[in-house]
Amino acid sequence: MKLKKALAILLALAMAAALAACSVEQSPNNSQTGGDPAGESGSGTQQVSIEWWAFPTFGNATGYEEEIIAAFNEVHPEIEVNLTTIDFTSGPQTLTAAIEADTAPDVLFDAPGRIIEYGKAGELASLNDMFETASADMSEAVLSACSDGTDYWMYPLSSAPFYMGINLEMFQAAGADQYLNLEGDRIWTTEDFRNACQALAEAGYVPGIVYCGGQGGDQGTRALVSNLYGAQIANEDMTAYTMNSPEGIQAMTLLQEMVNAGYLDVATDMQAAQELEMFQTENCAMTFCWGTSNAISYHSDDFTQVSVPFPSDDGVPELETLYNGFCVFDNGDQAKIDAAKTFIEFICTDDEWGPKSVLQSGALPVTGTFEALDLYAGNEEMELLSSWTQYYAPYYNTMDGFTTMRTEWWNMLQRVLANGSDPQTELDTYVNNSNAAITG
Amino acid sequence: MSKTSMSQSPVLRRRETVVSYLFLLPALFFFVCFVVTPMAMGVVTSLTDSHMGGSSFVGLRNYVELFQDPVFQKSMLNTVIIVVVSVPTVTVFSLWVGSAIYEMRAAARSFFRCVFYLPVVTGSVAVVVVWRWMFHTYNGLFNHLLTGAGILDRGFSFLGDPRTALACVILILFTTSIGQPIVLYVAALGNVDSSMVEAASVDGASRMQIFWRIKWPAIMPTTLYVVVITTINSFQCFALIQLLTSGGPDYATSTVMYYLYETAFQQYQYGYADAMGVVLAIVIALFSALQFKVMNGGTTE
Repeated sequence: MKLKKALAILLALAMAAALAACSVEQSPNNSQTGGDPAGESGSGTQQVSIEWWAFPTFGNATGYEEEIIAAFNEVHPEIEVNLTTIDFTSGPQTLTAAIEADTAPDVLFDAPGRIIEYGKAGELASLNDMFETASADMSEAVLSACSDGTDYWMYPLSSAPFYMGINLEMFQAAGADQYLNLEGDRIWTTEDFRNACQALAEAGYVPGIVYCGGQGGDQGTRALVSNLYGAQIANEDMTAYTMNSPEGIQAMTLLQEMVNAGYLDVATDMQAAQELEMFQTENCAMTFCWGTSNAISYHSDDFTQVSVPFPSDDGVPELETLYNGFCVFDNGDQAKIDAAKTFIEFICTDDEWGPKSVLQSGALPVTGTFEALDLYAGNEEMELLSSWTQYYAPYYNTMDGFTTMRTEWWNMLQRVLANGSDPQTELDTYVNNSNAAITG
Repeated sequence: MSKTSMSQSPVLRRRETVVSYLFLLPALFFFVCFVVTPMAMGVVTSLTDSHMGGSSFVGLRNYVELFQDPVFQKSMLNTVIIVVVSVPTVTVFSLWVGSAIYEMRAAARSFFRCVFYLPVVTGSVAVVVVWRWMFHTYNGLFNHLLTGAGILDRGFSFLGDPRTALACVILILFTTSIGQPIVLYVAALGNVDSSMVEAASVDGASRMQIFWRIKWPAIMPTTLYVVVITTINSFQCFALIQLLTSGGPDYATSTVMYYLYETAFQQYQYGYADAMGVVLAIVIALFSALQFKVMNGGTTE
């Protein structure tokens, strides 16, 4: 009997320990850096601990985040920063789950699409105070990308355009390089694009793949469609989606004809990542999702990768923009909010670490102060991209209904390009469903 | 009732009952915390328009909208197709393989069990990556063989064509679903009373008669388990679809689970997504009840 009692006690202890273990918060890829977690410095300053979740905008496992936390802690030892890296595949779901479970991080490094959505939903702390002085150093376009029109929710670090990449050797072998313009801003027209695709297809190459298997990199296909005949994705005051305009229908009709003629491929089972792999492995002659980070991730020494803007009928492209920036979640603790803002300010504006962070993100600065530093002096590619900032398109990623619009987009492409449905009917459906999400 | 338990005093019996419940308590705790409570919360949320940033009571509006939603209808149809095709094929194939290998020598039996169980223990991501490569339009194994044999002029998009995409998903689901049923059938068939089989054989029964009259009734509980588990897994098919097709093309491979995920995690419409979850749970319960009824609760009486 004594043995049974001892066993029972042992079991109870084991279960209690298991329960206690369950209550300990654990996150994958979580690392604690800097600060004075135990508050043992004896300085008398109140210790604050904040959670920083970061997508790999500074690169995968580069150690840059840890470096900058260490540098920050030299100036602010009273603020402990716990870093968690998340990826673009599962990160958004992890964030959503964390927000709903009231375990959102204090700082998030992301882009306006999600951040403004969180801000509108009341999950974020307003950053209006940070913009009181900073706004004078930023363009209107940058400022509008950080705001929902009422409050500022994102503090920007850097920006870059999205554009196309081509395989120069394939173009040359197919005689399609005659349609390219590699001078100046490398502007080319819709007719050039169509002729180049035809030449490539007739030479036996896969010219390009219109990927529509999901929302990954969908900005690339939207930019392609909108540029061909100057269709606007949204109206001027960003209150409605407008891609079912005559220009949009004309563009989708052209793409449908090109797909039917074999001048372009459509892949309903690919997203941008797979299309970029096809480009990198020389299985297609162009990519519609080229950008500063993809140019690094999908670099190849086996052929010449040339950046070109999207083709347009009037020779004036409108390029989608990537903004990298930070937001602060309102977790109900003003001390944490203030600490988070201090940390963001250090990353984005510190004389030494601000420019370093811009360079690490591989994008262009968003403030006049850092632009004046000419961070990419001597880098022809970045100077070219810098000249393309004049072609930045109106930024619609902060619009209401943005997430619904994205889902509707790739499904519309599938119906028109893979199923052969009528472009006007499907664009009407896409626009109506997207606008319905705006009105709720 | 055995003589021993009859002779137990009420005090002793009560004490044993209390001890039994105490041992059940931890499991009950986790069951209530992680199964019952989320289920109840899901039902309550399905009656609201819960979304990121707010929630208000809307009664049955989500359910009304659900049955008018063409994507949900398509997803439900796809789900039912997956279940209706998967469950019988998985069950019959597993039974066939199990019957073929359970009498083999131990080493051969282990080899086949390992072969069929391998896709189960391999992670979904790895499985999908390999299948995705095999189905690849440009560099895939199947297209390489078909174009090499002159059957196709150029690569065919198996996963991108609405006529073949769902079949591809069902095929992959099949390969990942048969491992466990085969192992279960091998074990169940090995436990069939050999004296009854020998007696029937001596009496002149054919192999088919022995199977249907002796072995089949003996493995009926296993069959019921296999059918119910395969049904539930097929209804909840999600990871394959998310990794393989994202529900496309044009929702041709979308299931209720996938649409639920898309609604909750990409569009932040939690109330609407929960309504889907409740409907799916009801449908699974109805299917399972029907299976219990048809299979007499796993008996042949």
